[in-house]
Amino acid sequence: MKEVSIPSGANLTAIYRELVGDYPKFFKMDTLSKLGFLLSEMLVRDDEGRFTPREDRAVIVFSRNGCLANDINYAKSMEDFPSPALFVYTLPNIVAGEISIRNKYEGETSAYVLDKYDRPLIDAIVRQAFQDRITRDAIVAWIDCPSDSEWTATAWIKTK
Amino acid sequence: MTKVYCIGNGLVTPVGSTALEVLQAAREGRSRRLFERGAFYGASFFEEIAIEAAKKATEGIEITPHTGFVLSTTKGDIEHIGKADISLAAGAGRIAGTIGITTSPIVVSNACISGIAALLQGVRMIRSGEYDNVVVVGAEVCSEFIHSGFDCLKALSPEPCRPFDKDRRGLNLGEAAAALVLSAREGPWEISDGVIRNDANHISGPSRTGEGSYKCLRYVLEGINKEDIAFISVHGTATPYNDEMESIALYRAGLSDVPVNALKGNFGHTLGAAGILESIVSMAAFDSGIVLPTKGFHELGVSYPVNVSAKERPAKGKLFIKLLSGFGGVNGAMVFRKGGAL
Amino acid sequence: MENLINELKLKIIDSLNLDGMTPEDIDNDAPLFGDDGLGLDSIDVLELIVLMERNYGIRLDSPSKGKEVFRSVAVMAQYIADNRTK
Repeated sequence: MKEVSIPSGANLTAIYRELVGDYPKFFKMDTLSKLGFLLSEMLVRDDEGRFTPREDRAVIVFSRNGCLANDINYAKSMEDFPSPALFVYTLPNIVAGEISIRNKYEGETSAYVLDKYDRPLIDAIVRQAFQDRITRDAIVAWIDCPSDSEWTATAWIKTK
Repeated sequence: MTKVYCIGNGLVTPVGSTALEVLQAAREGRSRRLFERGAFYGASFFEEIAIEAAKKATEGIEITPHTGFVLSTTKGDIEHIGKADISLAAGAGRIAGTIGITTSPIVVSNACISGIAALLQGVRMIRSGEYDNVVVVGAEVCSEFIHSGFDCLKALSPEPCRPFDKDRRGLNLGEAAAALVLSAREGPWEISDGVIRNDANHISGPSRTGEGSYKCLRYVLEGINKEDIAFISVHGTATPYNDEMESIALYRAGLSDVPVNALKGNFGHTLGAAGILESIVSMAAFDSGIVLPTKGFHELGVSYPVNVSAKERPAKGKLFIKLLSGFGGVNGAMVFRKGGAL
Repeated sequence: MENLINELKLKIIDSLNLDGMTPEDIDNDAPLFGDDGLGLDSIDVLELIVLMERNYGIRLDSPSKGKEVFRSVAVMAQYIADNRTK
């Protein structure tokens, strides 16, 4: 099973330029979404038939802190003019949506918050997600991003 | 496959504190969206209402070492950002611990479909055979954080919301806590199916083709007869785009003639609580033999035909479908089937 | 007007995170929305509404009004010149 990760504090723009380069929406994303987007690129960039809409791949994202880093940024904007572009990222599942939009994944997408990186519990939840009658595999990610400069970010693909 | 039943429910809402009270308020057209905070004294109002709902739902039900816990919320205790540990995981741990649960709590935070997503997670846990029962709690409080956000998205209605109406102007925010206990032990309602699908289109705008919502409907229709559907409780936020999108999804799924209602005119959009609250109220309505009216609706204002219940009418059928959609392109559908122990 | 247009372009690039773009890349009369222009979307409209209030004291109450005003940078600049309160 291929597992990819992005070291804490890495230069995400540099990784984007090396790996993608032609998806300017990247610059509008919060750090959580940037991390998920880049992790998924690492996993699926060589997929055959990529960008063809598919319903059989789920995107399941886990963390401890959800979208806390961006919550803090939005809360700061509230002191002046609340920013719609920041507010739309104040949900932990937006990163899964970004991965779906990029790749045309029309299957299940979910965000879970757990007290810690509990791999057996994560594996159990992913196993349970395969009760869906169509889902055949899942991009699974643990992305914990309490601030814009520190994180744990790792992802893999689990097949039914 | 193991059948999964609802064996207990609990509500804490501004319009009533039992399913029957909330149902009665809805039948009489009484609405209220926000709590009077004076009645609560704790540090976290969010946790208090979630605990209260969980306690009510688990009354008379044994919490075992194999009782699971799933919390559904979008923003949890966000009103205390910068002042306390507002992490959803810590909050879930305190709520679960208070009612004596010892398994690892799971938080589902999947935007406005969190309620269905959390129930679906609970259903799957029961089916895995590893849990005796699962307590699923949805809770949301209306903070300045959430209010300012929907305001800057221009999504708030200046008047009581009007789902599917031609003059609808947006949503009203609400707050509530709602809980269901799921078990393989036979209960009055079965959750017979559930699904989540993504539009893969836009993070905040609903799909112009209703793609994800349509796919959800198509998925759950595989397992049921259309004639058995008493009604569909739609998301119906009363924003121009959401209701339009749902009309397209219903039309594409061949459900334009099935009775539909939206309950957000009764208690507002309760975000992470919505799926569970609206499901409990829909069960109570069906049990009373009725399809609830859609408060605020007068004249259809979407492009495709929808059989919106403007007034209360009799419920005919064996089940209802709950539909939700949310930011991140997520959509969810769940089937509640009357059956089991009556 | 030239100064206002240039200032506006810089503010748009900054507030919408249009990475790598310079004012020279934005044609004064090109549409801001849709595929043949900058390709901005519904969240960008809302963010531009904030930009108008923060910098020029202009309140636009609805995204549809915003879309009229945000047809192009030239239209936007003219609207600001006519309606600014700061």
